[in-house]
Amino acid sequence: MVIDLKRIMIVEDDLVICEELYHLLSNSGYEAIILEDFQHSKEEILKENPDLLLLDINIPYMNGEVLLKELRKDSNMPVIMVTSKDSEVDEVLSMSYGADDYITKPYNPTILLLRIAAIFKRMEHEQKQSKYRDVTVYPSKGILQKGKQELQLTKNEMIIFQFLLNHQGQIVSRDDLMTDLWNNEEYINDNALTVNMSRLRTKLTEFGYRDAIETRKGYGYILL
Amino acid sequence: MILRKYIKDKRLVIAIYILGYFSILMMLFAFKCDHSLIIAISIVLFVLASSILLIEFYRKKEFYDELIQNLESLDQKYLVLETLTKPSFYEGVIQYQSLYEINKSMLENVKEYRTRMNDFKEYVEMWIHEVKVPISSLVLMCHNNKDTLDKKYIGQIKRLDNYIDQVLYYVRSENCEKDFLIKEVKLEKIVGNVALRNKDLLLENKIDLHVQLNAICVLTDAKWLEFILNQMINNSIKYKRDTVDSFIRITATEQKDVVILSIYDNGIGIPSSDLSRVFHKSFTGENGRKKSKSTGMGLYIAKNLCDQLGHGIRIQSEEGLFTEVQIIFSKDDFYSLTKM
Repeated sequence: MVIDLKRIMIVEDDLVICEELYHLLSNSGYEAIILEDFQHSKEEILKENPDLLLLDINIPYMNGEVLLKELRKDSNMPVIMVTSKDSEVDEVLSMSYGADDYITKPYNPTILLLRIAAIFKRMEHEQKQSKYRDVTVYPSKGILQKGKQELQLTKNEMIIFQFLLNHQGQIVSRDDLMTDLWNNEEYINDNALTVNMSRLRTKLTEFGYRDAIETRKGYGYILL
Repeated sequence: MILRKYIKDKRLVIAIYILGYFSILMMLFAFKCDHSLIIAISIVLFVLASSILLIEFYRKKEFYDELIQNLESLDQKYLVLETLTKPSFYEGVIQYQSLYEINKSMLENVKEYRTRMNDFKEYVEMWIHEVKVPISSLVLMCHNNKDTLDKKYIGQIKRLDNYIDQVLYYVRSENCEKDFLIKEVKLEKIVGNVALRNKDLLLENKIDLHVQLNAICVLTDAKWLEFILNQMINNSIKYKRDTVDSFIRITATEQKDVVILSIYDNGIGIPSSDLSRVFHKSFTGENGRKKSKSTGMGLYIAKNLCDQLGHGIRIQSEEGLFTEVQIIFSKDDFYSLTKM
């Protein structure tokens, strides 16, 4: 099976950050492209036509906000501003020029990935439910459906299950799960995560999926 | 200007005049002049002297009264010159001219300091944006190598970031230029950002976070409020009580014309003798001495920022029980009307 990787372009003049971002995105299942020619940044971006753009404000030749404004004349590609300019004025300005999100440095890398995933999900809004084996997932209703059978999950269980599902086959650390939960305004502690996890497992077992979630000691969990 | 004091001031002149009068009087007696002539001359001299005194007095009174009165009613006293009419008498003109020169040089001096202050502020802001770049690199490196790197590295980087933010907002709050932007913000979003920022510290210290905001919106600068809240949460973590299950409760309540955001923790509290001074610059107090890491700047900057944004801030505490900080946002009727 050929998986169509989403292509993300990094517009950032600090080489170390570029490199680390490149690793982060590649390890998370994206194809990362780095912009090298800042003199013709707009043309380069349009030529590559990535699925998403990570854009810094302090870049050579043309300020990121201006570049975004120029870019919007020709393209509707999603843009996340990633910058150390942390004033509200800059954020509002960027959003008014058509940025889809605004993240200030230093950011939590997990959060950056969540925001990227959120934008891609928003773009593919036509398929609201996702699939796990022969189960259909309805996140907004909190329901897993297999044929006529339905399994009701709580909000926390659903967040955990979805995160595992989005990273199916990969090891997911407790910290990543925690970040996603907190990102969804569920400020739970370690014990509560353990409890939610075991409840989710029991429910899945009763639903016929014994050992769907495996524990990798010292690393985290994996959805098989 | 009071006539009595003026005359007292002119007593030397008056004394010389009276001396002169008596010498004239004696001369007139010596030459055996007619008594009616002596009386006539006396009257003329008296009228002459008192009219000179009075005319002088009223000419000056006009100028000085205006000066004293305007000086009293003005907030910024150095602007008094602008409110005066140019005097007609010589001394007044000299004073008026001098005031003008003094004012001008003072303003130039102040302007120079303001320019320097602004340059410094710009430099600090620029420097902070520069330093955030390597910090982000470090955060990314830690994340990309988390199999081999301990989590404590990221903790230290976050501490670094917090201290850097403190400098940034100190510079911003001390500068009277308004570089914030007020708009309607959801409290949930701001609290969420702050919570995520402090997630590791909270979990590590086993502090539970309870948030109940009821989807309330307030008018504020999101970034500034985020910094203020971050200070509060940092304090709550720093001054937690080890003997109980620690928690921080963030709640928002809407009243008739205000919204109150409360940050409540069951930490070690603040001694009542220190409570009134916690917002003072560099005040560390009893708790600061116990924990050597205190700079005494966090709450001061927070209060300063609140003042500039027009929010109220107050603190309640009982030693060994709790601390509660409340931020009070006023509702803008005009804004909500135009939104309708």
